[in-house]
Amino acid sequence: MVKITYVEHDGTEHRMEVPVGLTVMRGARDNDVPGILADCGGACACGTCRVFVAEQFRAIVGEPHAIEEAVLEIDDSQRPGKRLACQIPVTEALDGLIVHMPERQF
Amino acid sequence: MDDGQFPGNVAAQAEDRPRQLIQDLQLPNLAVNEDWFAANPIPQLDAARAEHPWLAASPLGFVVTHYSAIRDLFKLDSQMRGNYVEMVDMMGAADTPWGDFQLGHILNARGERHQRLRDVLAPAFTPRQANRHRQLMRDVMAELLDQWAPRGAFDFEEFASWYPIAVISRMIGSPDEAIPQLRASLEALGRSVSMDLRVLAAMQEGTQRLDAYCSELIVKRLAVRKPDDDNDLLDVLLHIHVEGKLAQPELVNILTFLLTAGYDTSKNVMTMMMFELCQSPDVYARCAADLDYCTKAVDEAMRLHGTNNMMRIVTEDIAYRDVLIPAGTTLFFPWAIAGQDPTVIDDPHAFIPDRPDQIRHMGFGLGAHMCLGQHIARAQIAEGMHLVAQRLLAPKTTGPRGWRPFPGVWGMEGLPITFSSA
Repeated sequence: MVKITYVEHDGTEHRMEVPVGLTVMRGARDNDVPGILADCGGACACGTCRVFVAEQFRAIVGEPHAIEEAVLEIDDSQRPGKRLACQIPVTEALDGLIVHMPERQF
Repeated sequence: MDDGQFPGNVAAQAEDRPRQLIQDLQLPNLAVNEDWFAANPIPQLDAARAEHPWLAASPLGFVVTHYSAIRDLFKLDSQMRGNYVEMVDMMGAADTPWGDFQLGHILNARGERHQRLRDVLAPAFTPRQANRHRQLMRDVMAELLDQWAPRGAFDFEEFASWYPIAVISRMIGSPDEAIPQLRASLEALGRSVSMDLRVLAAMQEGTQRLDAYCSELIVKRLAVRKPDDDNDLLDVLLHIHVEGKLAQPELVNILTFLLTAGYDTSKNVMTMMMFELCQSPDVYARCAADLDYCTKAVDEAMRLHGTNNMMRIVTEDIAYRDVLIPAGTTLFFPWAIAGQDPTVIDDPHAFIPDRPDQIRHMGFGLGAHMCLGQHIARAQIAEGMHLVAQRLLAPKTTGPRGWRPFPGVWGMEGLPITFSSA
């Protein structure tokens, strides 16, 4: 299990333990963490699972792939660390991950 | 008002608690297949929720009536499938052109095939791609308004019907001259999920015409390819086909599906949005002045009146709250009006584009089969209505002439408007 902290826009933190093999999105959605909608269920299509990865984890989480980048253009936020949570697989290396959710997903 | 979350959510499914079989529940009945229901479904849904908080019965399956329950159940999307096989059987249309089209399209695909189709199509339908087509959308609407605005009065549904077909036609390099023929076929195919036997003959003919047209378009384009720096959507699909990732019959089906899926849906949303705008002149004026606000108005319009109401067949038992939904159960999801749920939003029936408590509409569906073209649709409706609001001033309407069937692609049949031109 991997510890992930999901931080709402107002600063409320949700500390979850997420099984390796799921995605960061599933960790939030399956535990009803507010702030992630994931309407398409993880298909990298809808753009409603956007998160901002905390700076210290960006290197290990990595950059978005090409399609993800194109979907992330659903909003014009320039805040660094923007990713789709459904495209971040949970691995042991992400233990302690912190992600911030936007004020709105739509 | 709750916060939209049910106490019995997906995470609580594992709880060992007594559950009742859905078929054994005493539920209110919703006549979702009746014309009178389609004309005014909201009071029926409100009344049903007063009897049971999230379920009702209907001739087409169990209706999930609560906004949050719909969202919760679609987290279990992998335990459900589309009802296209049953629909084709019910229509007696197995091994017919329309039946084959329904069973072959992406909405009926599952597992590996579905993933493959979505993977090959996804790059062409991102928000980035939608934004690249915005000038095309503006050009098409401007041309339409040049033709229609001088009339002073027309049927808005008819006017709107020419817009999405023209946009997709130009996106695939189909000539404008073919639009009337395409439109006639798409009008028929838009009734596909309504399960109305009266329109089957028209749907068969429409399918055959579209199939022939798309096949010819593909053959012509394969013979004379465009330069790489001038590729349109059809070229992108042909490229995938030439790479061996898409067989020719699949390519024809996909092209037919793209034309079909994008026609009625956008037309109906625009028509229902215009109905609301006619009653909200301040909102209309802001839509003319501000594209971002107009986009919010599109989302609010879709919350009030989306256009899709779809069914799913449960493939593995689902335990949700205190109910057991066994495999084989048909569930009906009224996405089009789920956003008017008073338990999740204040003043649910009012059209307020910049409301602070906005909820996410389900106009594009949910789950793995969520609308592939959603970003293009949202952009084209916003760009289109932004220009409409600038050119058709002080519009008035006496309301819709009628309503489409509620199951499938719902919407108004005819919306006469009068206006003055800018």
